[in-house]
Amino acid sequence: MNLDTAFWTALFLSTLRQTTPLLFTALGGMFSERSGVVNIALEGIILFGALTAAVVVERVENALGPGPHPWLPWVGVLSAMAVGGLVALVHAVVSIRYRADQIISATAINLLALGAPSLVLTYFYGNATNSKEVVNRLPLWGPEGFALSPLVYLAFLLVPLSWWVLFKTPFGLRLRAVGEHPEAADTLGVNVHRMRYIGVLLSGVLAGMAGAYLAIGFLNQFVRGMSAGLGFIALAAMIFGKWHPLGILGSTLLFGFASALAIQLQGTEILPAVLVQAFPYVVTVLVLAGFIGRSRPPAAVGRPYEK
Amino acid sequence: MLTDRRRLGVLVLAGGGIALLLWYLAPWAVPHRLFGGEGVLLNPFGHHLPEGTLPQGYRDGWLFAVFYLSLAWLLLTLLAPWTKAPTKALYALGLLGLGLFLLGYVLFQQSVAQVNAPLERPLLRRYSLGLGSYATLGYSLYLLLLARVFSPGGLAFLVRRRGVVVPLFSLLLATLIGGVIVAILRESPALPQDLRHALLLKLDLITYTYQLLFSPLVNPSGFLQSLLLATPLIFTGLAVALGFRGGLFNIGAPGQLILGAIAAMLVGVYLPGPRWLVLPLAILAAALAGGLWGALPGWLKARFGAHEVINTIMLNYIAASLFLFLISANEYKFFGSTLYLPFKYPGYEARSHEIRPEARIPHWTDLVAPGGELSFALPLALLLGVAGYLLARRSLGHRVLFGLLGAGIGYVVGGLLPGPQVSFGPDLTSVRLNGAFLLALLALLFFHFYVFRTVGGYELRAMGLAPKAAEYGGVLAGRKVVLIMFLAGALAGLAATHYVLGGGIDEYRLKQALPYSVGFDGIAVALMGQNTPVGVGLAAWLFGILLTGGLQVNLQLGISRELVAVLQALVVLFIAAGGFLPRYFTDPLRAAEVELKAEAARRGAEEAKEVRR
Repeated sequence: MNLDTAFWTALFLSTLRQTTPLLFTALGGMFSERSGVVNIALEGIILFGALTAAVVVERVENALGPGPHPWLPWVGVLSAMAVGGLVALVHAVVSIRYRADQIISATAINLLALGAPSLVLTYFYGNATNSKEVVNRLPLWGPEGFALSPLVYLAFLLVPLSWWVLFKTPFGLRLRAVGEHPEAADTLGVNVHRMRYIGVLLSGVLAGMAGAYLAIGFLNQFVRGMSAGLGFIALAAMIFGKWHPLGILGSTLLFGFASALAIQLQGTEILPAVLVQAFPYVVTVLVLAGFIGRSRPPAAVGRPYEK
Repeated sequence: MLTDRRRLGVLVLAGGGIALLLWYLAPWAVPHRLFGGEGVLLNPFGHHLPEGTLPQGYRDGWLFAVFYLSLAWLLLTLLAPWTKAPTKALYALGLLGLGLFLLGYVLFQQSVAQVNAPLERPLLRRYSLGLGSYATLGYSLYLLLLARVFSPGGLAFLVRRRGVVVPLFSLLLATLIGGVIVAILRESPALPQDLRHALLLKLDLITYTYQLLFSPLVNPSGFLQSLLLATPLIFTGLAVALGFRGGLFNIGAPGQLILGAIAAMLVGVYLPGPRWLVLPLAILAAALAGGLWGALPGWLKARFGAHEVINTIMLNYIAASLFLFLISANEYKFFGSTLYLPFKYPGYEARSHEIRPEARIPHWTDLVAPGGELSFALPLALLLGVAGYLLARRSLGHRVLFGLLGAGIGYVVGGLLPGPQVSFGPDLTSVRLNGAFLLALLALLFFHFYVFRTVGGYELRAMGLAPKAAEYGGVLAGRKVVLIMFLAGALAGLAATHYVLGGGIDEYRLKQALPYSVGFDGIAVALMGQNTPVGVGLAAWLFGILLTGGLQVNLQLGISRELVAVLQALVVLFIAAGGFLPRYFTDPLRAAEVELKAEAARRGAEEAKEVRR
């Protein structure tokens, strides 16, 4: 075994890359659950975001030619965010307006994300599993050898930003109030439903961004089921991070490290790859069981509110 | 009363308007269709005839006769709300409409037969009625429904049957959206000349897609195939439904199925012994392994308060890794040392060794007609089993005992009776439907008896409805959660018997192609079936039909088979939203309010009658 500096550098960068989509999604989940709506649809929303980014970029390339378009990946990211928001809106309408069981409604969206991409892919590319590769991926920023996608930086910047929004602005106070005690918030004149819509929409937009990162930052195409449980792991990270941006930063780094380790160990003779792949999932189960610390969810999470 | 009448008038007008629009825009009948979907579309306002496709001898006079009759009928229905007894009139007109539809069907079949009969190879193929005719059928049913709803106590009638109304309405909505998706995804086979023409082609395309989806109902091999695909769905549907009944959401059916499959493979491949011992043991192993894999998140919830949803999902991924670990290679490196596993069969494909013949679940032909001779064992067992159950009356245990006894006697006696020789065509024998289907039916029975007829099931339902109250009433909540998850996991594990022991995936092996995602489809099945055994059975069959038909859709129209998955997801979404129906369909308290109001109105009417006397 030869674990030299190159290995550790690769592991470090890989950790940052693996953490990025988790961080986006977990922060999104935090906004949604702080407002009182469970959103396990994030897994599916990541897939929809990834599909959108890959297909939009490929379609534009198809129309304008492949030549470098520095603006194009950003269009992909924005459209993925928009679609993520739209899909989240479906979940929001069904679970807020129609008081559906939030977990079932979100599961429906996850099921949709298993089937719908195949229809779109078959329509555009004639196969049901992956999109055509794109040329205009997100750029890499940073010094030679340590260059990372701009979305990686953005994800880590979002941590202090969402901390500020959640704990230092009136908006954040209202959002938390709605998730803890909607009746009281309502009495004080906060529009409970509107805050919840905003919370869910934010989660969808962020998960869509995570999807865009997977499709045109991490890879250069959409592959069926490419999120591979990321959305669920992010939710576990959110619980483990106690619904707090800083906690979430720590927990997503842990999960990101677990995934990165799994990737780095592949092809080595230390552990078989098929087993190592299960590593993040095992960590999730252990974390949820409270073996590594307990946490308390927002009091009104999962309960529909009616006046 | 007046407002009621006006509302009825508006509803009839809306329905009639839609029917008229469809009559104008959609084909009434398609006497001939090419493989890709393009067809001869007959419509009273102008046919669509691709070149050289409609033969000289075909006469379309019947179409206009039916059309004028229908038009007169439609006018009558619009007047019906303003008659003296509107509901009676609507009942009569609804039945008349059904008659009109039947008339059209018969005349159309005759017109096709006229062309086809004298020829050796039928000239007109893939013929069927079109959306225009179905609009007549739909409008008639709609009128009958309106008649019932606007009769006294009509709303209460609908609300009482909300367990059927909500899923069916959700299915209808999903179907409409599915139609839009199809219209977007596939260009019409022929170039349209104008807007009406374009819509004609699109509407025909949508109708044809759904016809293909439901086509397994009318051909024998498709029918068997739909039962084959329904088999695992019944198991996983029950696995999810049992969780729902107990207030738990079991998204772990895929993982439980995988563990069941692994256990069934281990026993089926490596345990030598006689058939009567090995086969039941293999089935039990599948149930046990699935059950334990399910009990794990149950225990985590009971002991640590960890929510079962994310845990079951994580365990799905872990199970998938374990499964691949076992069958994708024979040797693994662990920190430099090597581990040898015997499970993978040599070759490129990741699959296990073959299940021993003794541990295989028999193919359906061996059950229906062993040795080519029709057997009465199963029908007689069913007959005597039901008879025994119904005739014994002392207690439930007594009834079940007599039922089982009857079934046993029936099986033995029926097996001894001589039967006629039968043979099946290759299209039927190639369908890998097997005895696991019977196991699935038994699982439905088990679900019914356990959940609705035992103390344990009563406790389970109490947990689902009001966990605090159940605990106060003496249910050991933690233990119950583990037990519920164990039973749910066992049901999901049994689905593996179909795939591994029954050869449901082309071979009697554990293969990488094991479609464990049917565990997710179980969610749709359970919701569609409203967590009742009959509902789950029917919903599983419905999805079995759609999945079978989906293959035809893919083959003929080039639309991905995942269309069915999308429909399933939409159904789940809409049922979660209560079908977007008014509150009293989803909220039991409000439903009770509606019923009380209806009851009060009925009493008031009776009293008024007496006073008048």
